Amino acid sequence: MVQAEKVSRGFGSVRALDRVSLEVRPGEVFGLLGPNGAGKTTLVRILTGVLKPDGGRAWVAGLEVGREPHRVKARIGYATQEQSVYRDLTVGENLLFRARLYRPKEAGLLAKEVLERFGLLPYAKALAGHLSGGWRQRLALAQAVAHRPEVLFLDEPTTGLDPLSRRSVWELIHQEAERGAAVLVTTHYMDEAERCHRLALLFGGRVLATGTPQELKALAKAKARFLYAPGLSLKEARGMPGVLEAWPSGAGVRLIARREAPLGGLEEVEPSLEDVFTLLTKEAL
Amino acid sequence: MNRILALAEKEFLQIRRDHVLPRLIVLLPSLMLLLFGYTINFTLKGIPLAVYDASQDRISQTLLEELAKEDRFRLVHRAASPEAVVQAVDRGQARVGLVVPAGALEKVRRGESLSLEVYVDGTDPNFAFQAQAALRKAIQEVNARILLGRAMAGEGVLPPLSPSLHTLYNPENRTAWFMIPGIIGLVLTMFTVLLTALSIVREVESRMMESLLASPVRPHEMVLGKVLPYLFIAFGVALLVLALGHWVFGVPVRGSLALLLLAMFLFVLGSLAAGVLISTLARTQVQAVFGTYAYAFPTIFLSGFVFPIDGMPRLFQLLSYLVPARYLIEVLCGVMLKGVGFGVLWPHLLALALFSGLVLFLASARFQRQVAV
Repeated sequence: MVQAEKVSRGFGSVRALDRVSLEVRPGEVFGLLGPNGAGKTTLVRILTGVLKPDGGRAWVAGLEVGREPHRVKARIGYATQEQSVYRDLTVGENLLFRARLYRPKEAGLLAKEVLERFGLLPYAKALAGHLSGGWRQRLALAQAVAHRPEVLFLDEPTTGLDPLSRRSVWELIHQEAERGAAVLVTTHYMDEAERCHRLALLFGGRVLATGTPQELKALAKAKARFLYAPGLSLKEARGMPGVLEAWPSGAGVRLIARREAPLGGLEEVEPSLEDVFTLLTKEAL
Repeated sequence: MNRILALAEKEFLQIRRDHVLPRLIVLLPSLMLLLFGYTINFTLKGIPLAVYDASQDRISQTLLEELAKEDRFRLVHRAASPEAVVQAVDRGQARVGLVVPAGALEKVRRGESLSLEVYVDGTDPNFAFQAQAALRKAIQEVNARILLGRAMAGEGVLPPLSPSLHTLYNPENRTAWFMIPGIIGLVLTMFTVLLTALSIVREVESRMMESLLASPVRPHEMVLGKVLPYLFIAFGVALLVLALGHWVFGVPVRGSLALLLLAMFLFVLGSLAAGVLISTLARTQVQAVFGTYAYAFPTIFLSGFVFPIDGMPRLFQLLSYLVPARYLIEVLCGVMLKGVGFGVLWPHLLALALFSGLVLFLASARFQRQVAV
């Protein structure tokens, strides 16, 4: 449904994307995980046909983006990082406007249907600017899917939301995938990445690894040991041989160490995706 | 087509939601019309006059009566000496001072020339020019009457040259008549350029453009969807100004209304395109506002709306050919005041069409390029 092949893009001397390849299948929630400035938004802009790549090719919904950007645009939904809603229009007007841009004939029906599906019916006549951040994000998502796109791009849909709103946004995302859409979500929240079917770790414009959360953790475990040392000071921990990374955690210290490091007697812990990410970026630098 | 309508309707909704803008759109041009119509007065009335009359005879009486005719001058100060006349002008009590020497009637009877001393406040050249003209007119009248009296008595001759003036199109020199075509031009420029530029830049500034670019909306649909609502608004406002001018100030529309609308349409098209062009150059709304000023000021100064083109230095006269408002005002004046038709006005209409076509082309080229990153 989405396929990127060695996509590159630079801005001046900065290489924002360096030969990025990935694939998103129908019905799948694919997470693009990376810190700010990793190139997540640049990749989304290229895949949605807003930005042209310097190199590489991409296919979305069976069409090559570079050749038929307008046909691609009609088949996708894109929720930008900034909540792209008109604050001076009501919830209903916003949805109807979007639906009309894609499917003018069925716009009224589609807008009504998505109002119900996203629980926005009680707010239909409220100005978008009067909604709370969480509900406005819900509206932004509803807008992106009102025309039932085959492929959905969501750029940091949960940034700045409280945990409850984030949970409900993720529910909506999975709802769309169950409908059969291929969903590409970008995030810099490592814990959220667990909610994706598959992930790509993006760092400095390059894909460090791709796989399910479990696969990525297994990959990390094959490369390093993840340990917990109670009662140890951070300084002591950093001074130990083979330690790649150490940080305080509760009453002790968490460690990432080389597999061959002689560190007996410490507690092995299951790595989080954040641990995986820390290890892989450490390797990449 | 559907998408253009969706965009245009959305724009209308947004304008309607704005509490202030719709009122401003209606109030501002109306206010401007009333202000310009009533305050800018090229025909002066009631100029305050100080007089030292040493003669106090029939001649000086006739002259003062003539000056007071049609409210041109208002006698505010009878000075006690010639010096006091100048002092009255110095103090600002009067703006024109007149000294009639003693024995006016005797001098005239003897056929000698009577020299009148006149002091005009020249701080405002435009005022001075008009005051002088009014004075000359009054003195000419008195001269004519004296000569006529002599001719009837069988002595002397009539002045060899005497003008018989016919002021065409606007015989009463009503300022509003001349101003209304100009205000229509100004309103059409400001509203279309500013509102279009602002609405596009706002879309970019609030990052809404990104999601519109990712939608199936094509660049030309986007431009048309943005421009159509303001086309309607600008036309509505122009017709409002026209109607106000007609009912309040009695400005006639002597020629064809269709021709008037055609010129306005061509002009508005170019202005809207200029708005799009400015929006592609400006990143913020503030920049767009200043960009509009940069576009509108030459319109005001070089179109002949405020300052007569004939009075400009040669270079600026040539530059005024580049200002589309010049052609619009020519057509508006031609149709409304002169009542001439297409046969006379076609060069101006052609110029408008050429200008609008050019700006439209530039705007769409730049917009396309900006969109295709």
